[in-house]
Amino acid sequence: MTKVFDNEIRAVDGISFTVDEGEILGFLGPNGAGKTTTLNMLATLLRPTSGTATVNVHDILAEPDAVRRSIGYVFQDPTLDLELTGRENLDFHGRLYSLKRDVRRQRIEEMLELVQLTDRADDLVKTYSGGMKRRLEIARGLLHHPQVLFLDEPTLGLDPQTRRSIWEHIQRLNQDKNITIILTTHYTEEADYLCDRILIIDFGKIVALDTPDNLKARLEGDIVSLAFKDPAKMVKIRPLLEEKDWIRRISVVASDNSHATMSHMMQMMRGMSGGVGMGGMMPGMDSGNVRGGGKMPQRMRQMLAQSMGGEDDQRGLEGGSKRLNLLVDDGGHRIPEIVKLADASEVVLESVELHKPTLDDVFLSVTGRNIRDEQGSFMETVRRHRIIRQARGHRVRG
Amino acid sequence: MVQPLSGQAIYVVLLRELKRYWRAKARIISSMAQSFFFLAIFGLGLGGFLGGFGGIDYLSYLAPGVIGMGLLFGSVFSGVSVIFDRQFGFMKEMLVAPVSRTSIVLGKILGGAMTASIQGVILMIVAGLMGAFTPTPALVVGALSAVGVMLLITAGFVGLGVAIGSVLSDFHAFQLLATFVMWPLFMLSGVFFPIEVAPFPLQVVMLFDPLFYGVELLRWCLLGAGTLILGPFGWLIAVGVLVGFAAVMVGIGAYLFSRAQV
Repeated sequence: MTKVFDNEIRAVDGISFTVDEGEILGFLGPNGAGKTTTLNMLATLLRPTSGTATVNVHDILAEPDAVRRSIGYVFQDPTLDLELTGRENLDFHGRLYSLKRDVRRQRIEEMLELVQLTDRADDLVKTYSGGMKRRLEIARGLLHHPQVLFLDEPTLGLDPQTRRSIWEHIQRLNQDKNITIILTTHYTEEADYLCDRILIIDFGKIVALDTPDNLKARLEGDIVSLAFKDPAKMVKIRPLLEEKDWIRRISVVASDNSHATMSHMMQMMRGMSGGVGMGGMMPGMDSGNVRGGGKMPQRMRQMLAQSMGGEDDQRGLEGGSKRLNLLVDDGGHRIPEIVKLADASEVVLESVELHKPTLDDVFLSVTGRNIRDEQGSFMETVRRHRIIRQARGHRVRG
Repeated sequence: MVQPLSGQAIYVVLLRELKRYWRAKARIISSMAQSFFFLAIFGLGLGGFLGGFGGIDYLSYLAPGVIGMGLLFGSVFSGVSVIFDRQFGFMKEMLVAPVSRTSIVLGKILGGAMTASIQGVILMIVAGLMGAFTPTPALVVGALSAVGVMLLITAGFVGLGVAIGSVLSDFHAFQLLATFVMWPLFMLSGVFFPIEVAPFPLQVVMLFDPLFYGVELLRWCLLGAGTLILGPFGWLIAVGVLVGFAAVMVGIGAYLFSRAQV
């Protein structure tokens, strides 16, 4: 399947995959990678530019209504009616899917029970917390007993506890009702915890598709992560490390505060895509010089770095620091050698960590970018998002 | 692409409109109060100065127009609320369901027409209590016909609202809409003064205002045949214009809604 917006942005670029019945498949990728666009095509909300797909044996182009009947879709942005109660939201949904009165009532009770909202069912949704709303949306997506459930960023913006409880709900649904689940996320730990298989998508292309364990096994060796007292001096040790043949890859990653940075960016993006065009703010952004998969022009990178308060995207995020991650064979035994190198180049190490490769590392190795470190591609992402959002509208199918 | 209509879908969207209307008490009260102020201040104040037109006192003359105002604002607003549905995401919930967009938009328009007409009925009762209408047996028939007229008027204007709401991307343009569409429609509808006292160019403009025919009909229903300006068969012309307007606006609204962005 391919989706091109405005003859320019290849939001989804020739992807092809199969999902088994009862499987949980996760789309992992940064914002603007094409995850939501793919889901929207599968849900018959968008028509693919080329290609097609079959959902629960129904073709998305030939039998959109049959597809819609067999899927549940929990959208990324909230889609509840806040002026109605939880029960009324479910009731509305049940009626739209032509459930008979008795069936409807019984299932509403069942679903409320499942997501533990029974005692708040008759309160207006506007009084719900974020996690409760999310749970209600999941309940609603399940009300008509879909065979396939699409979850677009199911835990975006939720606190860790709520996230954990939603994960448990999702797993239980999958196990108890054998529902096939396709979810999108840009949290690697979410993909790791929930998914049977993970599809890593970047700039509209599938770059990897495998089980979490197999993906991690691709990176043989260990990750040795170095933090420095003065991150600016990182450059002094780097050439020395690059000479060593037992270091298979070196990458700079943002340390601990990456989450905060990410949510800050998400907020910025929300604000920007909601009506205020980037054109006025960033001259040159609208000239169409970014093609799918292309690199961000240097000028934009500089402007971005300035606007973010940093001088260069290779040096410190605001208030955070960078680490150097080394992919090393037999990492434990190499640490003393690395420390010696640091001493020799008069760089003071603050800490050294050793860990097995995580999905973050996998993502970095297959895309060349850190999934958390969205700064490098931030402007491009915003732009893609904006174009996709605008373009989506004109082609949405009825 | 011709899409099948689903009665169930139309009904459920309509039901939602009614529920939401009923919950938005502040909106109901403020629009009632606004109409009441118009009646009380203009009707009694300006009426004391003007006396009346053609044997009807000013309050009575004004009342159908003020009801028309409530209908106009209520229905355009409820049509334009498709913007909110889009902004708060609920639109997606409706669009991903296995029902046609035409069913959804028809439910929306019917619901909007009903809520705005309920508002109109309340205003009619308020005006009646203030003594705007002479209580006769004919008034009962008149009031019932007036309800039908209200549904006709509002269907057209909800259609207009849906059309505008489908084109506007956000709510900021609403102020412009109020200033350049709703207020002129209201003031040109012969609410405050009869068309014959206006200079000729203004009369021509007024004849292009669909609400003018709506107010004419309401006046005819509630005050009697003597008030018709368009001649003895004026009511037929007015009904024709309103039916045509409703059909065209519902059509345009449904069309624009079907191809609007999510």
